[in-house]
Amino acid sequence: MEANITYETQQFWTWWFAIYLYAGGLGAAILAVTFLTDMYLKPHRNLVLWGAGSGVVLLSLGSAMLFWHLLDHMAAIHIFNPLALFNQSTAWIAWGTQFILWMMVWGVLYAIPYARVTPLLQRTPVIKTILNWPIVVKLGDIEEHHRKFFGWLAIVNGTGVAVYTGLLLQSFPAVALWANPGVPLLFTVSAFSTAMAFLLLLMYTILHEAEDDHIRVLYERTDLVLISAELVIIFSFFFYLQRGPESAMKSWEILFTDMGWLIGFIGFGLIVPFFLELKGVIKGWTSHVPIIAASIFVLTGGYLLRHYFMYAGVYAYPW
Amino acid sequence: MAKYAMVIDLNTCVGCNACMAACAIENQTPAWDTEKWRTYVHDREIGAGNNVQRRFFPRLCNHCDNPPCMSVCPTGATYKTDEGFVLVDEDRCMGCQACAMACPYKARVNITYADVRQGEEFYGSDYRRTSPSVDKCSFCDHRVEQGLKPACVETCVGESRMFGDLHDPNDPVAQMVASGVAKPLMPHIGTKPNVYYIDDLKWKWRG
Repeated sequence: MEANITYETQQFWTWWFAIYLYAGGLGAAILAVTFLTDMYLKPHRNLVLWGAGSGVVLLSLGSAMLFWHLLDHMAAIHIFNPLALFNQSTAWIAWGTQFILWMMVWGVLYAIPYARVTPLLQRTPVIKTILNWPIVVKLGDIEEHHRKFFGWLAIVNGTGVAVYTGLLLQSFPAVALWANPGVPLLFTVSAFSTAMAFLLLLMYTILHEAEDDHIRVLYERTDLVLISAELVIIFSFFFYLQRGPESAMKSWEILFTDMGWLIGFIGFGLIVPFFLELKGVIKGWTSHVPIIAASIFVLTGGYLLRHYFMYAGVYAYPW
Repeated sequence: MAKYAMVIDLNTCVGCNACMAACAIENQTPAWDTEKWRTYVHDREIGAGNNVQRRFFPRLCNHCDNPPCMSVCPTGATYKTDEGFVLVDEDRCMGCQACAMACPYKARVNITYADVRQGEEFYGSDYRRTSPSVDKCSFCDHRVEQGLKPACVETCVGESRMFGDLHDPNDPVAQMVASGVAKPLMPHIGTKPNVYYIDDLKWKWRG
C-alpha cells in the first residue's frame, strides 16, 4: 500500500521561522554568556548592557516574526498564560514562549543597576524617565542584593530558549531531518557559537578595551570548541541522513547537493572560521581583522543552518 | 463508549471527488481555494506503456490515538474526545501551524482572515466560522452525534468510505480492522491512526 511515496517539503514555516529560531537562539545565548561573564569572570557594565539589550532586541525580533505569521493574532493571548505549561506540557512552543518572556524579564532586571549608572542612558529622554521611576529604582535595589539569583534565572531561561529551538523541530515525527536528538544539540551548540561570534565582534569593534583581552581570548577558545563540536554534529548528520530512512535520504539530497549549504554554511560558516580562530588561538594574529571576519562568517552560517533546515525537511506521503 | 474509525477501500474509489465536495459544503471549508480541502483524493497513473491505469487515494485526518498535532499545540486548541475525534477549538487556535508541521498525513489546512471574509460572502448568513485557525477534518462529529454518517461517507458512490465503531464487534468496520484487511497508514511513526485502508488489488500486469 505504501509503494507509492510522494516526497514533499513544507511551506508553513519558511525563512521567517528560520529568523525566529536564529534570533531566539542567538539572543538568548548572548544574554546567558554576558551574565556569566559578569558574575564569574569580571564585572562588566557595558557587556551586560549590550548583552541584555541585544538579547531583548533579538528575541523581540524573532517573536515578532512568529507573531506576524500567526493566523489569529488575538488568540495568542492563550500562550502568554503561564498555566499553558501545565495544560500543554508537551508543546515546546508553550515552553519556549515562557522561556522567552521570563528571560527578557530577568535580563532587564539584571541590567537595571548598570543602566542607572550609565551616563548615556541617563541622558536619553524616555529611558532616563523610566530608569528614575520609583518602582524601577526599587527593583534595581532588590536586584543588587540578589544579583546572582536574578542572573541565574536569566541564564536558565536563556539556555532554555536555545535548547527549545531544537526541541521544537524534534517534535515533528514525520520528518527524519528534524525528529532526532541531534537537532536540539546542534541548535544549542550553534546558538552559543553565534553568541560568542557576536560578542567577539562587539569586543573587537565597539567595546574594544585592552583590559578585556582575557575575555576575548576565552571567547575565542570557547568558540573554537563550539565550532568543532558543530562540525562533528554535522558530520554525523551527513551519515545519518545518507543512510537513513527515505525522508532522511531526500533531505540529504537537498542539503548536500546545494552550494549554499556546502560552501555557505559548512565552508564559510564553519570550516573557514574554525581555521581562522585556530590560528588565533595557537599563534595569534597581528590584526583583529581575521577574528572579525570569522565572527561575521559564524553569524551568517548560524542563519544559513536554520534556513536550510527549514527548507530541507521532507515528508514522505504514502500516496 | 464508541470509538470511531473509517475504512477506505481503494478498490472501489472511482475518483469522483464527491467526498471532497460534500465535505466542503457540510463543513463550510474554503471551496474557492483548490489547496484547502479537509479531505482530498489524489489521482495518479500507475503502470507503463499501454498498461497505464488511474488510481485514486483519498486522504483526510487520521484521528490518531497519539496525535502529534495535539501534543505540539501550545494553546490546547487541538484536543481529542473520548469517542476518538481529534478536533480544533477555533477560538483557542492562534494559527501557529505547529500542528501542520507535526502531521504526517498532510491533514491540516490554514484558514486565514481572508478566508473568513470570503466565507461570509460565499456561504452567506449560514456561515458558522468567526475566526481563522488551522483547520482539519472532524469526522463530521456534529453529524455522528445525531446518528448520521460523516458527509464524505454518506455521499461516496462507490461505498469506498465506511465509518463505524471499533468497539462494536458486529460493526463491519471493526471486523475489517480486526481481520487485518484494512491497514493504517505509516504505523511506524507511532501515531496510531484511526483511518484504515484496504489495499488496491485491482491492478494486474497485462503484458
